[in-house]
Amino acid sequence: MKNNLLPLGTRDEFGVRSEEKQRIIEVIQRHFRNLGFARISTPIIEKQVVFQPYQLVNSKMYRLLDQEGDTIVLRPDLTLPIARFLSSTSIPLPQKFCYVGDIFRLSRSLSGSYNQLTQAGIELVGYQSTKAELECLINIYDLSREILDEQVTIELGYADFAKIFLDIFTTDVNLRKQVAQALFDKKITEYERLISSFEDQRLYPLLKEWPRLFGEPEDIFQELNQYELPKSVTLRLKKIKEIVLLVKQILPKQQLVIDLSSRAPQQYYTGLTFRGFAKSGEDYIFSGGRYDNLLANFQAQNEPAVGMGIDIDLLTDLCVKKFNRIPKTLVFSSIKNWSKAQALVKKLPNATLSLSDTKADALKEAQKLQAKLIDIEEDEDEFEDSSN
Amino acid sequence: MNLKIALTKGRVEKQVIPLLEKAGIDCTQLRNKKRRLIFNSMSQPFEFILAKGPDVTTFLERGVVDIGIVGSDILTEHRNSQYELLDLKTGQCQFVLASTDDFDPDEPKRKIIGTKYPNITKDYFDTLGQDVEIIKIEGSVELAPLIGLTDAIVDITETGTTLRENNLKVFDYLDKVSTRVVVNRMALKQHPQEIFRFVDQLKKIVTEEKALS
Repeated sequence: MKNNLLPLGTRDEFGVRSEEKQRIIEVIQRHFRNLGFARISTPIIEKQVVFQPYQLVNSKMYRLLDQEGDTIVLRPDLTLPIARFLSSTSIPLPQKFCYVGDIFRLSRSLSGSYNQLTQAGIELVGYQSTKAELECLINIYDLSREILDEQVTIELGYADFAKIFLDIFTTDVNLRKQVAQALFDKKITEYERLISSFEDQRLYPLLKEWPRLFGEPEDIFQELNQYELPKSVTLRLKKIKEIVLLVKQILPKQQLVIDLSSRAPQQYYTGLTFRGFAKSGEDYIFSGGRYDNLLANFQAQNEPAVGMGIDIDLLTDLCVKKFNRIPKTLVFSSIKNWSKAQALVKKLPNATLSLSDTKADALKEAQKLQAKLIDIEEDEDEFEDSSN
Repeated sequence: MNLKIALTKGRVEKQVIPLLEKAGIDCTQLRNKKRRLIFNSMSQPFEFILAKGPDVTTFLERGVVDIGIVGSDILTEHRNSQYELLDLKTGQCQFVLASTDDFDPDEPKRKIIGTKYPNITKDYFDTLGQDVEIIKIEGSVELAPLIGLTDAIVDITETGTTLRENNLKVFDYLDKVSTRVVVNRMALKQHPQEIFRFVDQLKKIVTEEKALS
């Protein structure tokens, strides 16, 4: 067997991708440090039992055994280790934590998915107020502008909305689960077949519309206003409306949508959920929400909490795409003009120094790198233009 | 913005092109495809990509296409996790458990089953509470019990003719199969109007066809 092969689903990172990823991590760490968050890092291996409440969709955990024969896993998530940490220490609450680290998920082999992913995030533990959710949303706004130079769309939902809404129609737990599953997967044919037994119920027209119940807040609220809904549903809608109003006041330019037809990011979520996505990109960049029962997995006393994860790899992909659109420049000079050349490199967005001894070699180097060559001594005018 | 649509090559492609045309989508390029696989249009907001069914699911999972048109057999087998918005009611067939006449489904033994669809086969026998040995067959699955490789097969049949011609008998009927319109989860959030317009255009035609049949 060859000794230089990587395991499936992993990769080496170098050059622009590595640089961009590091830059993004630094921006995020600085951002949260400036906001007074406490940095936390936990081991990459944990006991498997820590992740009991964690749902892995289409992937599995890497497992190994420790000296005692207990099953150890490479962490697939960074929130539960923090909950484990809080339950095993006497850290005073409330606290705001921020983290950056790698998570590991065994995805379907040969699917093109990576098994080692970098995630950043925050956990606001011990905060009951809506201000905790708001702080996350404001951070999505600030970070997306700082890192991507564009706004992401924030999508709001409510963790148990589907369950509460389906309670109106049936007490059959199994049927409720099947309908919710078909709704979340938008298996429309299956969904329509399952809900046909509720045809004579007053809210059936809304049930029929439900898979498409996402979009601009005004449109969704207008649609829902046509129906008389039970208090359990209106209470949750009130919470979403409250957040929508606050965001519109504080971040009037922020694009907001509501989705009441999607699954919560994890089953441990209990309240408002939020995610952020860019115009391009294959997944959500930001994902989080309220999970007031999280610590109950580890201790008797519960604590209110809101958290948010940030997909660093996806952010990196988007930034690298932008970076690659900037033409590469190779700067050539004699040793006596080295400082001048280096100063120019620092000013240009995608440039590096040529280390070739002759201009002819520098030209070959530029060809290999598909870069434009600037000779600092000959292209004086261009150099002057770029410096200004 | 052009919607990227991956269409399964072969039978699905032949059955779906008339539906697309009835929905007002110009398929001239697809009809005159020669050996091309990607079809960009200047006049309509679609880019069609022809691919094999399993690849359509991979493209959808990786988010490199917005929409896929593919059989539900492949979606189930490949554990599709993207949105299945419409049943086109074409390519209708059914999974069956079939074998030679002397096969006894109740015989107390660990059966050997040949199939192109190991996940669907495992799911089926799981529901029966039976543990079976599955052999993945790539070509003519009907051969497996005839040459003594397996006790039975799980395969798709449309009319049952191939099974009958090979002296095989149906012992059980499993899930029905048809062609589906599947949408990448993120694409639906990024381009909801365009995607729903496309799906609704097709849904109208499917409903009309159903009313006529």
